[in-house]
Amino acid sequence: MRKGESIVAHFDWALFVVYIILLIMGVSTVYSTAYNEDHPNLFDFSQKYGKQVLWVGFSLFLGLLVFLIDSDIYRKFSIPIYLFTLILLVVVLFMPPVNGARAWLGIGSLGIQPAEFSKIGTALLLARFISSVNIKQQNVRTVILANAIILIPMVMVLLQPDAGTFVVFTSFLFVMYREGITYDPIILKMLNSIPGIKFKETWVGTHFIPLLFIVVFLSLVTLLMSNETLTFETFPDLKIPGFGIVMMSLTILAILSFLVLRFISSRRDRNRVVLIVIIGFILASGLVSTVNFGFQSLAEHQKDRIELFLGLKEDPDGEDYNRNRAMAAVGSGGFLGKGYNKASVSSVESNHVPESETDFIFCPFAEEWGFIGTIIFIVLYMFMLLRILFIAERQRSSFNRIYAYSVAMILFYHFAINIGMNIGFAPVIGIPLPFFSYGGSSMMSFSMMMFILLKLDSQRREDLQ
Amino acid sequence: MNLDGRKYVIIIVTLLVGIIYSMRLFYMQVVDETWTLRAQEIAEKRKEITPPRGVLFDRNKRKIVSNRTYFNLMMKESEMKNFDTVAFAKLIGWTREEVRERFKEIVKGEGTYRNKHTGVRSSNYQKIRAYPFLKEMTLEEIATIAAHLEDFPGFYEEVTSMRSYPYANGANIVGYLSEVYREEIDEDPFYKPGNNMGRAGLERFYENELRGRKGIKYIVTSALNNAIESYADGKYDTIAKQGPPLNLGIDIILQAYGEKLLANKRGCIVAIEPATGEILALVSAPTYDPNLFIGKRNISKNYPKLLADPSKPLYPRPLAAEYPPGSTFKLLNSLIGLQEGVITPESGFPCNKSVVGCHNHPSAGNLADAIKHSCNPYFYAVTRKILQQNKEKSVFHDAEIGLNIWAKYMHSFGLGHNLETDITGLRPGSIPDANYYDKWYGHHRWAFSTIRSISIGQGEVMLTPLQMANIAAIIANRGWYYTPHFVKSIGSDGPLEQFRKKHYSMVDAKHYSVIVEGMRRVVHEGGGTGRRARLKDIIVCGKTGTVQNPHGDDHSVFVAFAPMYKPKIAIAVFIENAKGGGGLWAAPTAGLMIEKYLTRKIMEKDREKTILEANFSGIK
Repeated sequence: MRKGESIVAHFDWALFVVYIILLIMGVSTVYSTAYNEDHPNLFDFSQKYGKQVLWVGFSLFLGLLVFLIDSDIYRKFSIPIYLFTLILLVVVLFMPPVNGARAWLGIGSLGIQPAEFSKIGTALLLARFISSVNIKQQNVRTVILANAIILIPMVMVLLQPDAGTFVVFTSFLFVMYREGITYDPIILKMLNSIPGIKFKETWVGTHFIPLLFIVVFLSLVTLLMSNETLTFETFPDLKIPGFGIVMMSLTILAILSFLVLRFISSRRDRNRVVLIVIIGFILASGLVSTVNFGFQSLAEHQKDRIELFLGLKEDPDGEDYNRNRAMAAVGSGGFLGKGYNKASVSSVESNHVPESETDFIFCPFAEEWGFIGTIIFIVLYMFMLLRILFIAERQRSSFNRIYAYSVAMILFYHFAINIGMNIGFAPVIGIPLPFFSYGGSSMMSFSMMMFILLKLDSQRREDLQ
Repeated sequence: MNLDGRKYVIIIVTLLVGIIYSMRLFYMQVVDETWTLRAQEIAEKRKEITPPRGVLFDRNKRKIVSNRTYFNLMMKESEMKNFDTVAFAKLIGWTREEVRERFKEIVKGEGTYRNKHTGVRSSNYQKIRAYPFLKEMTLEEIATIAAHLEDFPGFYEEVTSMRSYPYANGANIVGYLSEVYREEIDEDPFYKPGNNMGRAGLERFYENELRGRKGIKYIVTSALNNAIESYADGKYDTIAKQGPPLNLGIDIILQAYGEKLLANKRGCIVAIEPATGEILALVSAPTYDPNLFIGKRNISKNYPKLLADPSKPLYPRPLAAEYPPGSTFKLLNSLIGLQEGVITPESGFPCNKSVVGCHNHPSAGNLADAIKHSCNPYFYAVTRKILQQNKEKSVFHDAEIGLNIWAKYMHSFGLGHNLETDITGLRPGSIPDANYYDKWYGHHRWAFSTIRSISIGQGEVMLTPLQMANIAAIIANRGWYYTPHFVKSIGSDGPLEQFRKKHYSMVDAKHYSVIVEGMRRVVHEGGGTGRRARLKDIIVCGKTGTVQNPHGDDHSVFVAFAPMYKPKIAIAVFIENAKGGGGLWAAPTAGLMIEKYLTRKIMEKDREKTILEANFSGIK
């Protein structure tokens, strides 16, 4: 820090303000959801909202601490931090299980979930490893070591078991992809070991991670939509199957992106953009059709198995309980919502949607604020993610950039999975919605993650080019 | 290696998810209605509030059917904690095994659901749902239990309403309530399991009025089925409305007196106010105490017993029993004869016992005296003149025409078909016409001589006591009647449309006076067959009947009205297997009823004593 310069001289206010807005929205949703008539005070610490306020306060205090410490410490101490979170992940396995998982360290509501903090440790160490000098991205050893850094905590959380966090750890693959560490070297090595074959690069191997993500995402959407039918009250004979809705949405998406990209791209790129959109649309339609008709042509028992896995069962009060109720809560919000504190399906008191103040916090929010609220929320979240990506790209040090990408991708995964399961686009995997869900561990860990990023960013000019 | 392009891949993936989610949210929240309906299904419950049934008043505003609060002991398994079977059994006075049995019964009985389409009964028992453990307890019964219920979480009392009968009379009129069957619930969405429905009598006929209007409360419920708050601040709620009271024409004091008189006998009394057609009393003997049919427990205990009783107390005799009217029928044959012009009031016929048996009396020189003496040969002659009017040469063809004319007259007296009285279980009786006898004897194979017993109300002629009383009312009115009915008004509305229409008999009013005079002589002149119905200060007009019964003792019949001018009451009394004719038992019973109704006191104490002590029930 240069002398005389304020500690917040290069502070990214935009990101901080979005973060604060999300916190306020989150706390107000927890307050409305868990509202207890006998304890109307928001700061009543016997209630969940009181505790949440406490966690927010504590998180902001932690953020301040993070800000007072020189940013260099995170790079220097990334190995001890990583190891410390690993140790916590080991210790937690010896704790008594809560709700069938050994995820809690400590007693009752004062416990913490080490899995939440291990993401920070992993992000820091991965940034340190990839940014270290003499790293060759195309080296098989680099690929294996980078994967090992994320694989160890992944195995630990799976032992708890915590499938949600396990999936979230795969977000680091996107970070590695951005940094050029892909599975391509391994694939090349295997391919080139076959006599007569000599590849320099495979396109699929390089772009494997985003491709896999898009394929899995679109397939899930297609499958989960396959048991929905759109009917209209005014035209009872008109029934649009889920596949039709998916295809319609893809077409709308293609037209929209075509228009937008045409508008923003330069004249030189225009033809290329058109080609990319057309190819993308054809590929996506092909994938969706293959998944849909492939699924339809499966034998009944195979279909059953897949539906069971996805939580798609006909009986709305049986296998599909959580997803169905969550969707009813979100969908019943309508355009304008039912009004603050008026959620009838997803309030904690009514208990129709389990975990409506934690993993399903989006339900009461969507029910109370309707589409107006949810679109504002999505825009805010998108803004936050893109802002972090923007911040990442402006870093001089690759450590900072890699860490920023890690934060962006972790938050993106949480967003994609959590909202996905609230709107029936993802199977029910219990992970919190950052800055929204009730819970001390997630609130503190995501806040720390955010403040470390803000701190690194504010000191970005001191780093060597 | 140029990695710069990859940041765009990541941005596109991020944006793609955001855009697809936005589209999805737009679809779910704005386009698709499915989820709104599903949310209503999940969180909003329609709670129906069953109002108390309408109450029944007699003609003097005495409440004869009212409602009383009862209690169900409810249980909800999800809230039961540390249930002590022994202590609970002791509390409700059962054995431990009985308590366990009851739990099993609830799961297998109340806790099942029958599929409407397949008819398959499957288990639907839910721990979070409340089921009645004990039903229909009185305040006294629940009071001893309720004090200790806090030791048994999951058990609580719930208020329900049931009938009560301040007068234990008129069971066959008012009917009773019992729980609806599954089929009835399917048929009429008004009913829900556990609701009651009128099963007989007025409760059944006026079910739609008495049940009132259900209130509907929309509430937001939790996953545990607890009500949280009223939906939309009760904007869509409707208030339960009790059914309107039914004001009956019944005089419950007269009804009770009639039941008392017919104790230890089988038979009926029907009394009608001629001017209005309102039924004053409708006694069916033997009868039962309507209080025996309050609630499921009582019904299941008492119904089989009463059903098995050989004296058929559940059978509404005045409405459904079809009896030959005996000599009371002579009145109608006389009226038809007069209208057809085949006789005059001065016609005389000899009492020729070679035609048909008769008791000893001087031959009647006119119609009034013939009625007074109830001369059988006289009315044979009258009826022969009606049936054989010599319109055709062949006696068989002639009888066919005559009988059909006769039957038409009889129908105009409300016979041979159901009266549209406001009660169920009515029977039409029987008035034979030409077709009827053609089936018996063949076409043109019968004449008056074949079917002559209809002259004296025997043979194929059948009337219900209600029809007999209505005939008395027609004669009292000199030629017309309102359909006999029970309900004078429903709330503030008058009687049903069908009771405001006057029905005229085919006999002109002028012909009635001689019949009425004959009926006066029956009661008030020496040698009249109905002198035991005579009252001081009140002129009673009546006609006796003795119905020959091939299975046992004769039935005793009497129809009457009083006073002679501006009649207030028309009555029919039918006593089965009375040892003696109509004059001996039915006439004094009718006299007592008339006296009770018109004066409210009984002067003829000896007559009353005789009737009360008579026992024709076959059981000593």
